[in-house]
Amino acid sequence: MTDAGADAADGTEPAAAAESGTQISATSVADAVDDLSGEGLSGYNYAYLDEHTKREVRRAILKGIAIPGHQVPFASRPMPLARGWGTGGIQASLSLLGPDDAFKVIDQGSDESVNAANVRRLAETTAEVETTTDTTEADVIQTRHRIPEEVLDEDQILVLQVPITDALRKVDSSDAANRRRHAHANYGKMWVHLYENVVEWGEIQIAARYPAMVAGRYLMDPSPIPRWDLPKLDDADNLFVFAAGREARIYAVPPHTDVEPLAFEDKSFQVERFPDQSCHSCGSTDTYLTEIETEEGTESDGGDRLYVCNDTSFCLKRQDDPGLAKDHHLDREGVDWGPGTPGGPAGADRDELAEGDGGDDA
Amino acid sequence: MGYVAVTAGEEIIERAEDLFEKQRLDDDAPSLSVDQVDGQLSRLTAQAMSEGGLYAPRLAALAVIQAQGDTVEASFLLQAYRSTLERWDETNPVDPSDMFATRRVSPAYKDVPGGQILGPTKDYTQRLLDFDIEGADEIDPTADWDLPDAEPTTVRNVMDVLREEGLVHEPAADAADLDDPVDTTREPVTHPAGRDEVLQELARGETGAVTALGYSAMRGYGQVHPTLAEVRVGKLPVRITHPYTGDDVRVTDVEVSESEAVVPVYAKRDDPQFAFGYGLTFGRNERKTIAMTILDASIQLDSEAEPAENPEFVLDAVDGLDSFGFIEHLKLPHYVTFQSILDRIRAVREGRGLDAEVGTAASSAADGGDAPAQAPEVSDDD
Repeated sequence: MTDAGADAADGTEPAAAAESGTQISATSVADAVDDLSGEGLSGYNYAYLDEHTKREVRRAILKGIAIPGHQVPFASRPMPLARGWGTGGIQASLSLLGPDDAFKVIDQGSDESVNAANVRRLAETTAEVETTTDTTEADVIQTRHRIPEEVLDEDQILVLQVPITDALRKVDSSDAANRRRHAHANYGKMWVHLYENVVEWGEIQIAARYPAMVAGRYLMDPSPIPRWDLPKLDDADNLFVFAAGREARIYAVPPHTDVEPLAFEDKSFQVERFPDQSCHSCGSTDTYLTEIETEEGTESDGGDRLYVCNDTSFCLKRQDDPGLAKDHHLDREGVDWGPGTPGGPAGADRDELAEGDGGDDA
Repeated sequence: MGYVAVTAGEEIIERAEDLFEKQRLDDDAPSLSVDQVDGQLSRLTAQAMSEGGLYAPRLAALAVIQAQGDTVEASFLLQAYRSTLERWDETNPVDPSDMFATRRVSPAYKDVPGGQILGPTKDYTQRLLDFDIEGADEIDPTADWDLPDAEPTTVRNVMDVLREEGLVHEPAADAADLDDPVDTTREPVTHPAGRDEVLQELARGETGAVTALGYSAMRGYGQVHPTLAEVRVGKLPVRITHPYTGDDVRVTDVEVSESEAVVPVYAKRDDPQFAFGYGLTFGRNERKTIAMTILDASIQLDSEAEPAENPEFVLDAVDGLDSFGFIEHLKLPHYVTFQSILDRIRAVREGRGLDAEVGTAASSAADGGDAPAQAPEVSDDD
């Protein structure tokens, strides 16, 4: 994650590019129009954003690291991608990436989804980075709504795309009011919301985007990762950067930070349950699965409902080597990385579930 | 296997782009030129410039062509381009009465200093389809008008008349805001937002959203039903301080629409004065500029009793780039979060002894038992 500095992609004078961002050489609007119809991104700075912007984003990230879970406002730039499609993530990634880094992009667990390919394409054309689909090879991973199944280490940064930055948005739409609540660590309204959930439905009804307390101080929206991935944030070796382009906020969970999902003593946090299910492709029983209704019909009218691994890159490795551990690439074993790994807080539940037990919350 | 996983990658994206581009070129007619769009569809380019926050008619015309007429997409292209440009300097403030108005109506008075200038408008045209417009003789209908040669003049601002009488409340202006206004494209807006931030965000607001929220205030969800002091369309000089001589010099003009209104909501109890609102957009867009005026006046009431009076609500809702992206992002795959949602609704149903045979093993979770049977609340899917 070196700072690429002033290495302008188009070979313009480096010092000038560093100080003034993009140079527009056209002498008239008509020339600028002509320039724009040219090919490629030769008129743009290294990694698209000008150096001032990248510096500002990095400052916001550093501030976020210094105050884990606290949302830092930053002047999110209009990007050449639609807002809500990863513009915060790509601003963070482009500010962190240097030419020697390998970049991986996943969208809902898949490297090959169209939006992941589009984000990767932007980084490739503007930052000239290597791209990879192998989680263990990547220096920076940008992700939409998943944390990979393979354990991340201290040299890796996971950049999570964030649609809604504040867990309190569920209970109050006003950002100004919620910023006051965070300042006072006043999370009573959220606790009442969870309590009412349990009273009304017998369960905490929050599916993804499950609120978590970071370092015992700030309530954080972990982005819409499934509950399955939430334990991975706790005491991890790697840095997590959360970036929201539309809402113009950045926050972070530094390595080895306590992240605790909100729950009650008698109503514990529960990850998604996949009882009796294994991946149709690789046979895994310890990964986050998604279900697929086949063309033959739904389960109720005799069709098949298949479950497959959501993390496509790891699933491919498991297809070659079914016993591959999630920490296979590390020099130690038994690393805690959420459900299905030794010592994972919810890992025991997953083992039981794999044997067909229900999601008991005792 | 009976399904096709979503695998795509760059080739499919490029093909989709090619298909989209083909739609524009699909018939034998020559494609539109930047000149044609700039000259003949100036309302589209005006909207793109106003929402894009970049006054560049030819670039806007290019964006409109590229977006196949989608103004929000066109303004998105302009904003994304604008964000890569260096911000060199700020212009010097200009007085609206420096405007050379091509159109100016003052609904507040029967006659005003400088007179009413109807100018080019379709306001009083009967909305009948003109079937002859295609292939008609392209003759300028004003060609044989006999116009006196007169120097263009600027006209006095109607609000000045009311201000001289002390009838208009001046919002307390922070001197720092006047000298060094926040650029909300470079600094994030947090609430409470200053008036300089509010006006900027409204000026770049999406036309439809600004119109809808402005209308809501008049439709009964608010107190502001303004009397327009005037609506003007014309050219405003752009002035900068010359870097060497230090003189105030005019470098170009921008076409703008401007409106000012008074609102019979008295701003002060001891010295009752009209509240007022202000609107300004790039290009010709009277509808947006009037709606902006209503929203500015509503936000100054700062009551939060009605949607249009709540600055957080209004600024969050009028940003076209934000709403466009987030609404359309729902087309992205959501199967990870949907799986999580399925898990929750099944857990609730199992807790109540419903559907226990389908899919998952029965949960032994404790259960409220006699809770009312209604549609379960499913949590947010983002």
